[in-house]
Amino acid sequence: MSDVTVHGAARAAGETAGENTAPKPVPFHRLLLVEARKMADTRSAMVMLGLLAAMTVVSIAARGVDAGPQLGRLTTTAGIGYGTLLPAIAILAVTGDWTHRSALTTFTLEPRRGRVLVARCLPPLLATVAASLFALAVAAPVTAVTAALQGVPAEWDLDATRMLGWTATNVLLIAMALAFAMLLLHPAAAIATYFVVGTLWNLVGNVSELGREIARWVDLGTAVGPLAAAELTWMDAARLATAVLCSVALPMAIGAVRALRAEVR
Amino acid sequence: MVKDYKGVRALDEVSFTVEPGSVTGFLGPNGAGKTTALRILVGLSRPTSGTATIFGRPYRELEAPGWHVGTLLDANAQHPGRTGREILTLGAMMLGLPRSRVDEVLELVGLTDREARRTFRGYSLGMRQRLGIAHALLARPRVLVLDEPANGLDPQGIHWLRGLLRQLADTGCAVLLSSHLLAEVERIADRVVVIGGGRVLAEGTLDELGRGRDLEQVFLELTAKADRRAA
Ligand SMILES: Nc1ncnc2c1ncn2[C@@H]1O[C@H](COP(=O)(O)OP(=O)(O)OP(=O)(O)O)[C@@H](O)[C@H]1O
Ligand SMILES: [Mg+2]
Repeated sequence: MSDVTVHGAARAAGETAGENTAPKPVPFHRLLLVEARKMADTRSAMVMLGLLAAMTVVSIAARGVDAGPQLGRLTTTAGIGYGTLLPAIAILAVTGDWTHRSALTTFTLEPRRGRVLVARCLPPLLATVAASLFALAVAAPVTAVTAALQGVPAEWDLDATRMLGWTATNVLLIAMALAFAMLLLHPAAAIATYFVVGTLWNLVGNVSELGREIARWVDLGTAVGPLAAAELTWMDAARLATAVLCSVALPMAIGAVRALRAEVR
Repeated sequence: MVKDYKGVRALDEVSFTVEPGSVTGFLGPNGAGKTTALRILVGLSRPTSGTATIFGRPYRELEAPGWHVGTLLDANAQHPGRTGREILTLGAMMLGLPRSRVDEVLELVGLTDREARRTFRGYSLGMRQRLGIAHALLARPRVLVLDEPANGLDPQGIHWLRGLLRQLADTGCAVLLSSHLLAEVERIADRVVVIGGGRVLAEGTLDELGRGRDLEQVFLELTAKADRRAA
């Protein structure tokens, strides 16, 4: 005898005579659109994205002046911004709904929380792929202009595997940022952890040979090295896989399980 | 249903029914368990035991809950950097509603176009409540779950809300709203459920409970009796 029941009207009713068309569950692509839109619908979000774009252009142009017209090298220079600002943007995309408590609305409109979480993590990953292409699009004209200004021939040849390796590295590192965000659900804590973890593993690696070996298997920042350089051996691939498990899959899984079970506050 | 938090029994065998075509006032002192019950009703927390159903099914198992149930639990729970219009647009997108519906609900709750373009950060409590009510009404739901929606509304706002809820109930909606404004509830509600200390103290139409006394007297008597029993 302990339950709460709300009986509904047989028909849709509204403040006007309006009628609902057949209601359907929220399709996944809509969730994806909504979550992508949330990454860019506030002033601060727009400022961050603008800063990232500006940083990409400036760093590529500066490297062009400094290193000469080499397309491949100029493109990967964008990694400076992609290793710092992009993780912060990704983390904010995940934590925002919790810190501002708008999760209350999100999860009443879509109680299948797992779908929301997937839809939330995909846009930052897709944005990272887009950012890698954007870097290439910026580096090409910079290469041409630098070649003309410096009067030297431009190096246009682009190592495709190298580019793929670089892009995959960017995506994996953003996945790690997302995982920390899911685990901690707090923007400052997740951003701090993301950068401190990298520094700590560096330290561990410098202290002892054993530490370096562990870092190669566990720390994603270390394990992506060969991938970024497009010199992945089978051994490196195995290390990368375990590092992804430890640094991405594990925190992500713990965070997801908690988000699915926890009370939404 | 029963809901336990570490060491606290927030709800103790709370049980009641809300019928279509009626406004049910959900009353109780601070900490009585109103918000807890409403959160369980819309699937944001799980009961320790018991069930909460809408149209006979738990909220999470409804086909498209956002279409059938309009919810306002906490008017302050929005991203401060979003504009009011953006918050409603996100809701309309989720529900697959045309953008024109955003204009309609804005007009309905009396938020001007200029106000809708300002960020949520600068909204007064009353504006937040209006925005939250607009959000709840997006899909023209048949069930409304509102936690203290009149809190912070100006006299015009309260008057308007009363008319709106009446009209919705008359077209067959089931409205469940919690409130501390007893005089208001007395004018809006067809039935009331009074809880205290996690238990239902009384339930029924105003006439059944009041028998000539006003709601405030009834409420104070009920809660005082419950306090004595707890002591
Ligand atoms: N997350 C939580 N953890 C522990 N206790 C909680 C939690 N949420 C609510 N409670 C407890 O449950 C009880 C009911 O709280 P609830 O918020 O439902 O009251 P309420 O009737 O909405 O009060 P108010 O009128 O002040 O809004 C209180 O004793 C409160 O302390
Ligand atoms: Mg409350």
